[in-house]
This record gives sequence, structure tokens and C-alpha cells, in this order.
Amino acid sequence: MAKDYATSDKFSVMKSPLYDWHRAVSAKMADFGGWEMPIEYPKGVNGFSGGTLSEHYAVRERVGIFDVSHLGKISVSGAGAKDFVNTMVTNDLAKIAAGSAQYNLFCNHDGGVIDDLIIYEFSEDKIFIIPNAANCEQVFLDLAGKAPSQIVVKNIHQDYAVFAIQGPDSRRVIAKLGLELDLGYMEFTKIALPSFPEFGEIIICRTGYTGEFGYELLPEWDSAEKLWQVLVNEISEFDGRVCGLGARDTLRTEMGYPLHGHELSLEISPVQASVNWAVVYEKDDFVGKRALEKEKQVGPKQISRALKCEDRGIPRAGMKVLNLEGEVIGQVTSGTFSPTLKVGIALALLKPEYKVSGKVQIDVRGRLSNATIVKAPFIPSRVR
Amino acid sequence: MSEVPNELHFTAEHEWVAGTEDPNIYRIGITDFAQSALGDIVYIQLPKKGLQVSTGVICGEIESTKSVSEIYSPLTGEVVRVNESLEAAPERINSDSYGAGWIAEIKITGPLPELMSAEKYRQITA
Repeated sequence: MAKDYATSDKFSVMKSPLYDWHRAVSAKMADFGGWEMPIEYPKGVNGFSGGTLSEHYAVRERVGIFDVSHLGKISVSGAGAKDFVNTMVTNDLAKIAAGSAQYNLFCNHDGGVIDDLIIYEFSEDKIFIIPNAANCEQVFLDLAGKAPSQIVVKNIHQDYAVFAIQGPDSRRVIAKLGLELDLGYMEFTKIALPSFPEFGEIIICRTGYTGEFGYELLPEWDSAEKLWQVLVNEISEFDGRVCGLGARDTLRTEMGYPLHGHELSLEISPVQASVNWAVVYEKDDFVGKRALEKEKQVGPKQISRALKCEDRGIPRAGMKVLNLEGEVIGQVTSGTFSPTLKVGIALALLKPEYKVSGKVQIDVRGRLSNATIVKAPFIPSRVR
Repeated sequence: MSEVPNELHFTAEHEWVAGTEDPNIYRIGITDFAQSALGDIVYIQLPKKGLQVSTGVICGEIESTKSVSEIYSPLTGEVVRVNESLEAAPERINSDSYGAGWIAEIKITGPLPELMSAEKYRQITA
């Protein structure tokens, strides 16, 4: 049994402003993109009834809060900031206005994905970007290197914390903060809390990574722990849970959402991944456009598909996928036990001829598990 | 702190061994420390009844939401009983690793291997 335990003491570099809080409640910690972050909270210690399953169900049925402060933050400001950023990403920022956010891919000239990110438009001259923790520096360097002289790009990774409030009761948690927000999906505001003006203004966006109705809150770094404590107290009324990145991963996998480094990478283009919807080919030039157009025309050599197991196997990243004749046709990029469906589920890159409702097999450590190709998400989205 | 009952014996692979009424039959399972480290257990592949095992060989698998771990036999002998209730309710290993979460019973052939006392096991998991 000795091998697979997550340990917290190696390679730790960056710390969330809640690091001491997580340690004090005995969260299980692990490295995420260079940040030491909570995987799950304990069962039966300090009043917690956590664990990945319990945290997952809380989000699907009630509400859960996550510390995702490891996510990157970049500001781009100056005349024409929006137009400049729009040349660097695949989606079209012209489709949004101030006060809205948009999912985007940040590609290289070969169409490889440097990162996927959420872009917030404060104004045409002020853009705020949330990349993944591990890719923040690279995205910052690319933007800073290409920005015209009147535009200032700043890596402000540690100016803000990021908290996600997710689940059907998240609206009530926001109401308890004294806020009456009428934000549509992917809309945001920057506002102070009436009861806690001393926390300063908080960016609040109707977004998330779980498939449930929810918000992401960005308080200033120095106010983060105080706001967190307020949220922890408030969710108790709804039998909510503090949730770790373990539950975040099972929740996003059930939605078929890509995770950079798994479903998207420098080698896995948006055409192959399930995010071609976030590439606007009609847009004027953007980095990677020609390569992506060409790949789309020729047809991708592999396509990301969702697989649902029919027996008790649990797929994991890297496992081979075979057709019924036993030929290797691809590999799993993310796999887990689905707490909602109670079976193994996977996202896998397969040869393009294998389509929805086809039957495949997954090599689970030498045993073949039967699976069906299904249409993602595995369970219906309730983000709106 | 994880629970370590005084009357049990332990292995470095975080398994426990307990005597039964039959002096040749021992019950095995994984420790509270191990279940806590694994997290929510969602699947177990139990050793097969009748399987001949020897100390240190892999005789099953335990899978949690985040990872899989192998079960190493702490003893040499024959698997005479397995806790089949775990197939439908593997979470019993989380909730009661020394009781309802027991995994198998092994009838030993030959002497017991050297195992750790509770005190020693507490030291290595402290």
C-alpha cells in the first residue's frame, strides 16, 4: 500500500493566502502547477465531513467553496488592450462587452495550446486574464513580448485570491453576503460587500468549472482569509462543504471540460479537443489561425471523446483504448470514478473514425474494461 | 492522528493482521492510516478464495477517487474467506478499516513472518 500517497513536503513553492488555514484544518495538500493546494478535506477532524465524494455531492446537491488562488492573473491595460489581446486568442472578444468574460485558447503558431484561459473585459482599454497556474508566466511573457508600447502587461498572480462558490445554493450564499446580483452566465462585476467594506472591492463572475450554477470571487490577496472565513460560516447553513481540487477534478471530468496538460497541450490542438467552439475562424488573423484552419480542412488525426465504462474498471490518464478487434485506437487523457453515475468515465483521444455510441475497450492494468463512446457532458450542465 | 489498535500486528505496506479463533487463520485488512491516505475508496478487487499467497505478493487492488493501490499479502498460506460485502460497499474500508472493512482471512502454512507491533507502527506513521 505504500506507494501512491500524496505527500506535501516535496517541491512546494508557491502558497495560497489560505495555506495556513488549509494546514490548520488538516487538508490533504499536493502540488498543482507549482502551488501547494488542498486536494481534499478530512472526514471527522475539526468538524469536517469532507473527502472527495462528500465534497463532490455537496456541489451537485447544495453548495461547495473552493480555494483556487493558484490560478494565474494577468492585467493588460492601455489604449487598444482588447483589440491587442484579441489577436492573441482563438475566440472573438468582439462578441463580448465590458462586464463579461469569455473562454479562450492561447495558441502558438503551430496551433498548439499554450493555455486555456478566461478573459474579463473591464473596458476596451482594460483586460483581465485568468490562465492556469503553471502557464501564467508563459502567457504573460508572450503577451508582454508582443504588446505595442502603449499597452502595459502585468503578471499580478499574487494580487488576488480566487474562490469558487459552486452548486444550486450558491445564489443564496451570495445573497447572504448582502449582494443582490443579477448576473447572467459569464457576466461579472466588481463590488464591495455591504457588511464588510473593509475587504475592499471583489470581482465576482458567474462562472465555474463544475457544471453547476456558481460564481468565482476574486478578493484582494490580503483580504482573502477574512472573506474565506465568512464564506465558511455561511455555507454551513446550507450543509455546504469546503472542497478540494480532488472534487474539482471529478466535477469537471463529469462535464467533459478539458484540463490543460491532459485534453489540451502544445501537442493537442483545439481541433482535436472538444473546444473547437472556442475558435472563431471568421475572425481576422490570430496566433495559430493558419495552422488550425489547415488542420480543420485536412481533418484532425485524433479527436477527444467521452467514454463511459460498462463494468467496474476505472480509467486513468495514459491508459490505452482499443477497438473490439483489440487494436490500439487512442489513449485516455483524464479518467476517474464518476461519483454521480457511479461508474468509471474518461476523456480520451481516439482516431476520428470512432464516433459516439461506438463500443471500445480500455486497458486497465492488463484487464480490458468495456466502454461506450458517449456525448459529453456525462450529466446535464446546470451552469445557467 | 490515525487509529492503531494495540492488539493488531502491522506491515510496512500499511496492512494489519489479527488472530482469529482458529490459531492457523488470520484476518487481514488495511490500516486507518492507509485508508485515510487513499481517500474515498470506490472499488476493490478482492483476493480470490482458495488463492495460494506468499508474503509480499500482490493479491488484490484498492482504488480510490484519485489513485489505485495494490494489496500485498502479509502472510504465506491460503485465502480461506474474503469480505465479499466490500464489493458493493467498499467505503466500509474508510469508515471501519479494522472492523467491517476487513479484507480476507488467510490460513497460514508455516510460521508467521515478522510483523510490527502497534507501537512500532505508530512510530513509522507518526
